[in-house]
Amino acid sequence: MSDKKRVSRRQFLNYTLTGVGGFMAAGMLAPMVRFAIDPVLKTKEGGDFVSVASVDELTNEPQRFEWTIDQVDAWYESEVQKTAWVYRNENDEIVALSPICTHLGCTVDWASNEEYPNQFFCPCHAGRYTKDGTNVPGTPPTAPLPRFEFKVEEGMLYLGETKDSGGGV
Amino acid sequence: MRWTKADTTQYIPEKQYIDTVIIPLIPFDPGNDQHMVKQAFQRELNQVFTNLIEKEYKGRIFLAPDYYYLEGSQADEKERINRWIHKFKEQPFHHVFLFTFDSKWKKYEGELEGHVLWVPGMGSGDIQSTETQSFVREQAHQISDLIQAYW
Ligand code: FES
Repeated sequence: MSDKKRVSRRQFLNYTLTGVGGFMAAGMLAPMVRFAIDPVLKTKEGGDFVSVASVDELTNEPQRFEWTIDQVDAWYESEVQKTAWVYRNENDEIVALSPICTHLGCTVDWASNEEYPNQFFCPCHAGRYTKDGTNVPGTPPTAPLPRFEFKVEEGMLYLGETKDSGGGV
Repeated sequence: MRWTKADTTQYIPEKQYIDTVIIPLIPFDPGNDQHMVKQAFQRELNQVFTNLIEKEYKGRIFLAPDYYYLEGSQADEKERINRWIHKFKEQPFHHVFLFTFDSKWKKYEGELEGHVLWVPGMGSGDIQSTETQSFVREQAHQISDLIQAYW
């Protein structure tokens, strides 16, 4: 009778919940599918070069330069502080080293240990690197400090991504 | 190192190197309009500070999850903090620091099993301002010198 035609309370809930659930599932699936089929689609904002210093400022002594970039991770965007040690070597070439210790990630300092005035020193476990970033054998790091890609335009130094210097001693 | 999946995964096999833990102590009182803004600001400042120190010493310092408590409840909280500290020492962490802007902890320092790093905070300000940034840098520098003196 008329009862049959009416949608029962339970049925009604069932319909609506399936509706909402289906909608949510679609919402979750869409981005997952997109990442799965085309990882290249993910925006990558780290590849830009950022102007960090004027080339006249560079000396033979490594100096610390800092700048910030907007880093976009999957869930949120944040400002990240970046640091580099930059100097000119004997051949007048620019060298830009990452300060992140390859052992466990502390920040290394130039000439901060009196016994090793010509090396980078890591305060965490006394890791050391020579001026060109090569790790000193017998200290915890097993790889050299990564180098930044750089370019010079109109007298300004631009730094990009770091790349592993490879090797290791 | 932080309380994240990536960092804890890295921590476990390397734990002999990461021997120091910092626990941020953050007071709040959600029932009090007068103190709310100041406390929220101190919380932000505390996070900027501890994040800076963690970043600089990632390979040796573990930043614990924040320890929240109701403003003024030191007498009740000290045992709970000591329980946290015991747990960390089981790892073993050798140096436990409690980082706070709340000067009331100084009175309880003797009863706590970690070192209280108390820094006079800024009453108010803008977390983004250059003034705040230089304050944080300067203080963070001194705090890390102090921590290194224990190593
Ligand atoms: S993190 Fe640099 S020596 Fe261990």
